[in-house]
Amino acid sequence: MSSSPVSLGYGLGLRNEYYQQILEQSPPVDWFEVISENYLVQGGKALYYLDAIAERYPLVMHGVSLSIGGPHALDGDYLKHLQRLAERIRPAWISDHLCWSRGSAHQLHDLLPLPYTEESLDHVAGRVRQVQDILQRPLVLENVSSYVRARADTLTEWQFLNALTELTGCQLLLDVNNVYVSSRNHGFDAWTFIRNLAPDSIRQLHLAGHMDYGDYVVDTHDHPVCDPVWALYQQTLEHLGPVSTLLERDDHFPPLPELLAELSKARELGANALARRPLCA
Amino acid sequence: MRLIDWQLAFEAHLTAPTPLVDSHFAATLLGGPTLDVHTGLAIYHNAYLSRLQDVLRHDFSALRYWLGDDEFAALTQAYVRRYPSDHYSLRWLGERFPAFILEHLVAEQSAPLAELARLEWAFTLAFDAPAGEPLTLDDMAQLRPQDWPDLQVTLAPTVQQILCRFNSVAIWRAARDASGLAESQALSRAHICLVWRHDQVCRYRSLEPSEACALAGMVGAGWNFSELCTELAVTYAEGAPLQAVTWLKQWVQDGMLERRAPQ
Repeated sequence: MSSSPVSLGYGLGLRNEYYQQILEQSPPVDWFEVISENYLVQGGKALYYLDAIAERYPLVMHGVSLSIGGPHALDGDYLKHLQRLAERIRPAWISDHLCWSRGSAHQLHDLLPLPYTEESLDHVAGRVRQVQDILQRPLVLENVSSYVRARADTLTEWQFLNALTELTGCQLLLDVNNVYVSSRNHGFDAWTFIRNLAPDSIRQLHLAGHMDYGDYVVDTHDHPVCDPVWALYQQTLEHLGPVSTLLERDDHFPPLPELLAELSKARELGANALARRPLCA
Repeated sequence: MRLIDWQLAFEAHLTAPTPLVDSHFAATLLGGPTLDVHTGLAIYHNAYLSRLQDVLRHDFSALRYWLGDDEFAALTQAYVRRYPSDHYSLRWLGERFPAFILEHLVAEQSAPLAELARLEWAFTLAFDAPAGEPLTLDDMAQLRPQDWPDLQVTLAPTVQQILCRFNSVAIWRAARDASGLAESQALSRAHICLVWRHDQVCRYRSLEPSEACALAGMVGAGWNFSELCTELAVTYAEGAPLQAVTWLKQWVQDGMLERRAPQ
């Protein structure tokens, strides 16, 4: 199960703070990523704007509740609604996170890390196949930021991601900021992570800001992208070639022009990085 | 430790009242060069509670305004411990909050707070309910004279009805406008407040008893227009049809009604 990745260019996370301006001003954004769960509703303003924006921009669905690594059965109701939303807005792809977000009895609403073991790999791979059978498309999974890791790990995170894509044909949403955050928290080299991923499996990139507490870093999506993440992003694009890039902001929303300026910075740095690629790569 | 046991231990840590860590679980984890396991787990523990409380702060902003940040935080913390989220969408987290307030607090305090919470939850429900097919004045203009006597209506899916025994609407309005704290008071006569969505905007309106009774007759008891006029004749005599049309026009203009198919 695979399809050739096509770069959509530079996109923004669609947030309700910007709905009206997007419709009125048609800002120079190549595509929008929507949080799937925000639109798994039966009516109202969110769906109204989503439909209107879907007529003007390519969209990608990005979920937070799939819980692909969870200890529970996959939620058939959730997947049914996800599929309906996909039929409604025809996203270029559907992504979620390599994590678990639901426990044995309750929704935990966090992107919790998995042990990187053969047991986890078997568990997640089986569930990825189920989801792909239902959604009839490759699932795109994002690496998450983490603040602890399992002592039982027998694989690195990038080895786990590579094995998962190989076993299932799923693709990767490489969150450059999350790599940076986890590398600081766990003491690994961020570039080693990225350069060891199978390049063909990477469908999309995320850029976001975080909070740096000195001894550790927390993935908050409430700040502009920091310089080390920009540098890592450029190195990544130089290595991979063009990949759809999404700038995320989930709190402390700035005025739209400020976010567009940050997206322009991504374009500029991305273009510079791509220009440095060997011509016959 | 098997994957599922590890995840159950992680879940138990997140949902525990304090960030104290079970030493067996902590022993399965590694920190980083400057991030120890206990700090890492505290980040997850704090994030779990604060994320849920953020949602409730947003969905029950008037209640927070009225209670103050500290009391609201204590109440919501107790709520999410008692009723952890069981829906994939955080949009449903507050569904049981009004009922929890009645369970959790003494009656004198809980009744007005639960009513305010029900009112706020009604806005959440109205916000993203299916639009349905509300009647319009154009639809009404198309009715043939012989259709009017048997005309039956039902509420559009966005309409919520809250029975208010306290001045919850005034408290909600004061919180919305940040215009000072209104004191909670029992009303001399309870009333119905309607909350609904029209043209993508949530609206609300308190009904006088006579209007509430007429609306309940039509959408609850299934009166047709002719029966509405008959019921209103007791009070309004020959003015009953005019009063019936006046209210019906208002409800239709507000986008609150759908036509009920003849039985």
